[in-house]
Amino acid sequence: MIFHLFRKDLLLFLKDKKSIVLTFLLPIILISLFAYAFGGLGAKSSVSPLDLIVVDQDRTPLAKELIRALDSNANVQVIPMHLPAARASILRGKNTAALILPKGWSQALETGDTLPPEIIYDQARKAEVSMLMPTLTGIYFSTISRITIPKSITLFLDKNYPNLPADIKNSIIQTPIIPPSSPQEKSNQFKMTSVVGVAHSSHLGLIQAIAGTAIMMLLFSVAALGTSLLEEEEKGTMNRLLMAPFSSTLILYSKMLFTFFIAVIQLIIMFVFAWLAVGLDVPSHLVSTFLMIVVTALAISSFGIFLAAVSSTRQQAQSLSTLIILIMSAVGGSMIPLFIMPPIMKKIAICSVNYWGIQGFYDIFWRNLSLWDILPRMSVLLIIGISMTTLSIFLFTRRMSRRR
Amino acid sequence: MNPLPPSIILQAQTLHKSFDSIHAVNGVSLSIKRGEIYGLLGPNGAGKSTMLHLISTLLQPDKGKIIIENLSPTKAPAAIKMLMGVVPQEIALYEDLSARENLAFWGGLYRVQPDLLRQQIDKTLELVGLKERQNDPLRTYSGGMKRRINIAAALLHNPKILLMDEPTVGVDPQSRNHVFEVIEQLQRQGMTILYTTHYMEEAERLCERIGIMDNGRIIAEGTVEELKSQFAIENILSLQLNAKQEYVVSLLNDLGIGCKYITEKKSLQIPTRDIRHTLCQILPILSKQEIAISRIDTQTADLEHVFLQLTGKRLRDQ
Ligand SMILES: Nc1ncnc2c1ncn2[C@@H]1O[C@H](COP(=O)(O)OP(=O)(O)O)[C@@H](O)[C@H]1O
Ligand SMILES: [Mg+2]
Repeated sequence: MIFHLFRKDLLLFLKDKKSIVLTFLLPIILISLFAYAFGGLGAKSSVSPLDLIVVDQDRTPLAKELIRALDSNANVQVIPMHLPAARASILRGKNTAALILPKGWSQALETGDTLPPEIIYDQARKAEVSMLMPTLTGIYFSTISRITIPKSITLFLDKNYPNLPADIKNSIIQTPIIPPSSPQEKSNQFKMTSVVGVAHSSHLGLIQAIAGTAIMMLLFSVAALGTSLLEEEEKGTMNRLLMAPFSSTLILYSKMLFTFFIAVIQLIIMFVFAWLAVGLDVPSHLVSTFLMIVVTALAISSFGIFLAAVSSTRQQAQSLSTLIILIMSAVGGSMIPLFIMPPIMKKIAICSVNYWGIQGFYDIFWRNLSLWDILPRMSVLLIIGISMTTLSIFLFTRRMSRRR
Repeated sequence: MNPLPPSIILQAQTLHKSFDSIHAVNGVSLSIKRGEIYGLLGPNGAGKSTMLHLISTLLQPDKGKIIIENLSPTKAPAAIKMLMGVVPQEIALYEDLSARENLAFWGGLYRVQPDLLRQQIDKTLELVGLKERQNDPLRTYSGGMKRRINIAAALLHNPKILLMDEPTVGVDPQSRNHVFEVIEQLQRQGMTILYTTHYMEEAERLCERIGIMDNGRIIAEGTVEELKSQFAIENILSLQLNAKQEYVVSLLNDLGIGCKYITEKKSLQIPTRDIRHTLCQILPILSKQEIAISRIDTQTADLEHVFLQLTGKRLRDQ
């Protein structure tokens, strides 16, 4: 009988094009959008070169050489400009920063005077500038060292060994101190290693986007399914169901089952999409991902049924659900990643289903925890699901007996 | 529990049901005979739907009891539900599903075997005349067509008793006739039908026995003829006379014929049970007095008059 009721709900669902789009297509679109925003989409070519305006007022061979060295670096794209244009472009936000080599710059290097190059930039794009700086300084100093190092050695020798013969002095100066190397290698002077998240090329922002969006969208579609219980009451089909020869709790169970089923399908589709399109490493975590999907779907569908059980009209359920979902999603980390929130928010977050779901998926894809280590998180979701379901059954049964 | 006589299929014994302060059903007793169409006639808010909900076990009575085929709803709810088909007052169907999908769903709830159910659906769709449209979503149906499917959905498990709650509300006259034919055919097949309505013409046309309901009580019960002869004794015979001749009234009164003269209409009004008999009685008298009659009208009593007589109000606000 449950299956018969379930099949009806499925049939109704499949006939409703709008709900199919809302349930499956919208989350996929949102995941793509967020994932793109977090820089996870097309992960391989993700390091796009940073643009750098160069204003060459010096116009010496050394300046040209520096510009060439910068341009040949894969991380930097040099845009030559005059100063007024460069300023305007940064002001308008078209470019991030400009390197200005003032007139007499190389002359000053030769003579040992100070005439440093200037960098003008957009304060709002500090992050990009700071990404640019290591490369820029690396290339800058390796280029000018050809002038400055012999210069300082000469100064040193002149001061301490004024009587050194010229040919010896020259041979000392020309001894290569820095071994010749390609500009690419120069820019990677430090090898940076992050201890979490690197093993599977997963990106924290990407996981955040997928799990956060998935859970929030799931809440919305589940709330809609839950309110369909109230719709049955309003349309009178509930009466007809109640007049049929089976227990009224079966009606609730079948709705629960159907909601759970759709939730699982929705999550599976979203994670398969995340795997195929944005490279989330689902295959290596197949079992834990699936179990996590099941417990998340259970917890969240119980929320939908609970909502229907406590509301008396569809209207009420809809506004209540929207409110609760938005609050839970906001504090639980579906909208703003929890890792950038202040500590107090992290404490509040524990009250939301979103928190436990998102953290569970972090555990799998970011922290790379084993199934065993994720079990506690899963049990929390399981407990949420079971207790909300039990409570809903109680409330629903009470309501059904009251209306008799 | 005393067993019911075999001719009685359903009995309600002093049922009471209140909603907060509203006493919707206030001590109603009725017995429905096997194979009859029993009509509950009453204005909106009389408590007809509440009665049907009590019988269909959707509601539980505060007091009183119901026996159906010697079963009690409290003891054998599932068995009783299997015996009954219910056509609710509202159209309780899934608009996005086709007629066939709806019927397959509602029939399936009564555990009809799939093969049998398929046959039943075909038969029922034929009965309500919507076989051609069976695969269209209900959304695209007219109100009358939806009503017919609403009825069909209650028939698939071949119930012994059919409860119908105002099944023709908002139905065009043609569809209404179709519905009546369906109901009459179901009765011929041996179904017992409890039919509620606030249209007295419907009750007169369909129902063998009628319970007139008002304010949660059955205030009169019987066949249409019984009700008429019991409460609305009179048909009205009205004779339009040529001249002001009020003295005719006393003349007729002397002969034991009650009547009154309405001056402005110049009309003599004679209440009677037997129009023909009365006419034969008075025509010779009038001709003897050389009173010319310009027009004869008759007004036959109907359930509307019965209701008016019983409650002092009309069945429907016109
Ligand atoms: N579920 C309910 N809650 C409160 N009042 C109700 C409910 N159902 C019916 N009533 C009231 O009971 C009375 C009888 O209603 P109902 O049985 O629907 O009458 P009818 O079907 O004859 O029009 C009405 O006054 C109605 O307002
Ligand atoms: Mg009613």
